[in-house]
Parts: sequence; structure tokens; C-alpha cells
Amino acid sequence: MRNALAIARKELSIYFTTPWAYVVFTAMLAISSFFFVALLQDFRQAHTLARAYGWDRLGPDYAAFKNLTDGVVVNLWNTVAVITLFVAPFLTMRLFAEERRNRTLELLLTLPVRPREIVLGKFLGGVGISTAALGVTIIYPITLALFGASESGRTLEWSTVLLGYVGLLLWGATCIAIGMFISALTESQMLAAILTFAVALVWWLLQGVVAGADEPWRSIGGHLAFSTELAPLLRGVLDLKSVVFFFSVILFSLLLTDRAVEAQRWT
Amino acid sequence: MSMIEVSHLTKRYRDRVAVDDLSFSVAEGEILGFLGPNGAGKTTTMRVLTGFLPASSGLVKVAGHDVFEEPLEVKRRIGYLPETPPLYPEMTVRGYLRFVATLRGVPGGHMATELERVAHATGTTAVMGRVIQNLSKGFRQRVGIAQALLGSPPVLILDEPTEGLDPIQRAEVRRLIKGLGGKHTVILSTHILPEVTMTCEKVLILHQGRLVAFDALTSLVQTEGSVESLEETFLRLTRAA
Repeated sequence: MRNALAIARKELSIYFTTPWAYVVFTAMLAISSFFFVALLQDFRQAHTLARAYGWDRLGPDYAAFKNLTDGVVVNLWNTVAVITLFVAPFLTMRLFAEERRNRTLELLLTLPVRPREIVLGKFLGGVGISTAALGVTIIYPITLALFGASESGRTLEWSTVLLGYVGLLLWGATCIAIGMFISALTESQMLAAILTFAVALVWWLLQGVVAGADEPWRSIGGHLAFSTELAPLLRGVLDLKSVVFFFSVILFSLLLTDRAVEAQRWT
Repeated sequence: MSMIEVSHLTKRYRDRVAVDDLSFSVAEGEILGFLGPNGAGKTTTMRVLTGFLPASSGLVKVAGHDVFEEPLEVKRRIGYLPETPPLYPEMTVRGYLRFVATLRGVPGGHMATELERVAHATGTTAVMGRVIQNLSKGFRQRVGIAQALLGSPPVLILDEPTEGLDPIQRAEVRRLIKGLGGKHTVILSTHILPEVTMTCEKVLILHQGRLVAFDALTSLVQTEGSVESLEETFLRLTRAA
């Protein structure tokens, strides 16, 4: 464990000494702010309409806008999840590909360290950076809690907000695990990023991809899609099935990465 | 007692044989000069010894531990400088050495003295706070050597350690390596033959993956009655067969 933590610390220090971390934080903040402001405007518009016509006549699409938690935060979390899908490949692409290019993998594999400690250390480093990148988005619910107002009860339903947030962090860790595995397969960071993005995007959209397929593929694909599994968590519903699903994907990716690191020595 | 034992080592890359039935042993405290033309299989042999590459067949033992069966025990005992110094360009020299020392199991309390020791031995004390990518080639090479010395492993495997150094630095590294003999078992690969004459007691010459000479330096240059320079011996043995 000491070895894994030393590797995690090294990964984090490299993220923060190169522009990567700051570029990703900036991108995350800039894009999510844009969506946050847009959601606030939608929220206000919904309330203006509701005052004029009443919630009953606005139809079901507007129901979520009754409160800030469902109207703004849950929608925002969904957006942040998609942004994560776009930025995670840039965080994971270097994890193993760069070690190969720099010839430092030879160092790691000849030090008294088990390959699985290397994999775990790199994963923890990656999770650290993805958690930090997602961490900046907590300012939006805090802003709402400070400046927002509600006609009935608390401004925000914190249990929903925080469970959604934990779901986001889990989703970030999942993206990191998949990206790390793909990074272990190639020496080219560019290729690793593109492949990771392609895999994560298709998996995210899997429900739509299999929509035209026959049963049972349609149901299987629908259940395995990242978007369907993540949705309840982001809504603040603690669905054990989803949690197990994401942990399984992470564990499986870590095992595959371990195998990939071992296997490349045999070719 | 021999520290390193290699018997019938063969390494194949798909259909190309890089190392062919190589057997030799190195006694504790000995410095072995590892010679051969480019592509003779020196780097491959070193990679197998350090556990980076698995052998296709044959046995490699370091301090009685099989590289394949007990890789961690072997890796714990070897300091290795690969052909290209394995450095992280974004890190400072101190940060890099501390990272390697942690993975080598240097305890936290000894960290500062251990870093100071290897920095002093390799003449890198002045650049400890600098970022590796801003260092000259000579300093990078020396940081690579410093990394191999961390934790004082009993076996040192150095793949062209004087590559990219100027004559003064080369002399320093030579002195350093000569000073390692006795306490450490060293395998030193190099293209600079006078270096071998000055630092090594024993010489091994590889040619096209096969062992063509393995003897004490003095007896090697005296074979067949006449005394020749190491260069003449090398050229004679590695002439295209």
C-alpha cells in the first residue's frame, strides 16, 4: 500500500506541475458555469410562466422546475457527468502511455513493486485528479444555498444534492479506470485519449445505440448503458444496483490493466 | 559464492533470437565488463537479469533467487540503470530520487541522508532542486546513476553509464564504479574499451547473442601466446562470422 500511495502521489504531483490539471479545472468550471447560468434562466422562466398560468397547465416537462434541487442541481449534475466524459480521457491518456514513451515503465517494472501496486497507485492518482476536477462544481449548490430562496422549507434538499455528487465522483472514477486500461495498451497518448472517449461515449449512449436491435439485446444494452445506471444516483436515489455496477466496471478495468501491464513484457 | 548465475539463457523475440544459450556467473564483489557490438544482445540480457523481460528459456539467479519465481526478491537486490535513463522530466531531481527511494523501501527516517549520499557520490548535489527536463545530458545520466545506487543494492546493472558524459565526468563515473567493486557486484556494459581495462577484472564479450569470450581481463588479452590490446581481442572475436 505504501508503494501504491507513493505512485499516486507522484501522479498527482505531475498533474499539478504540468498545465493539465489547471486546463481541466478551467474547462470544467467554464463549461459547467455556462450550463448553470442557463439552468437558472430556465428555472426563472418556468416560475414566471407558472405565476401566470399555474403549474397544472404547464405540463409535466415543467414539474422538475418546482424546486431548485430538481430543477437546477439534478440537471446540472447530468451536464457535469457529460463534461466528465469529455475531459476524463485527457486526464487518463498519459497514465501508462507516457511511462512507455519516457522509458520509465522499465524503471517501475524493475523496482521491487508488484504490477498491481503500480496499477492501483495510478488509479488512485487519477481518481484524485478527477475528484479535484469535480470538486470545483460543488460551488454551484453552495451558491444556491446562500443566495437562493424557497417558498416552502429549505432552499436545497442536501441529501439529494450530495448523493448525486457522490454518484458523480463514482462516475469520474469509472472513467479514470477505463481510460487507464486503454492507456496501458498503447504508447501514443493521442490514441489513448481518442479511444477512451469513443469507448466511454458509446457506452454512455448504449441505450440509444441498441434501440433498433432485437430483444434481448435491447434490454441488455439499455441496462448496461452508463447513462441509465447513473441517472438514479444523480437524481438522489440510492440504487444499490447502480453502485454495484460502477464498482464492477472499475474493478474489471483495474484487473484488465494489471493483465495489460504484465502482457506487454511477453511480446 | 556467485552472486549472479545465468545458465543456458535464451531470449527470442518472435522468430529473432536475441540471446542464444548464454551461461556465465559473477562472483560477489566482482565488476564484470559486458561487451559486444550494437545488437549483440547486451541490453536484452540485462533486461532479463532485472526481471523486466522474461527469458524464453534458461535460468537466471541473483543471490540464489530465481528471477522468474521470486521477482520481488531479485528486484530488491538490483540497482538498474537502463540504456535510456528512466527519468520523469516534470519532476525535480530531489522529488524523483525520493520517489524511487520510497519504492526501493528506504525508510522515511533515512531518506534525507540516503538522498545526500547518492547525490554526493554522483556529483548531483548542486542540481537537487532543479527540474529534470532543464538538466544537461550529463546531469540526466548522473541522476540515472544516482537512482540505481539508492538503497545500496548488492547488485548493480549499468547499461552504458558513461554515455553522454564529457571526459571529466567520465573519469569521475569510472572512479565511482571502481569504488563500488568489493561492496557491490557490478555488471557494466559499455562501448568504450579503455573504460573496461580501467575498471573491470572480468570481461564477457557477446556477439550475435552468443558468448564468444568470458575470462579475466589479463588472461583474455594473452590468449594464443601473444599479448594484444582489448580492442584487438574484441575486433578479432566479433569479426562478422
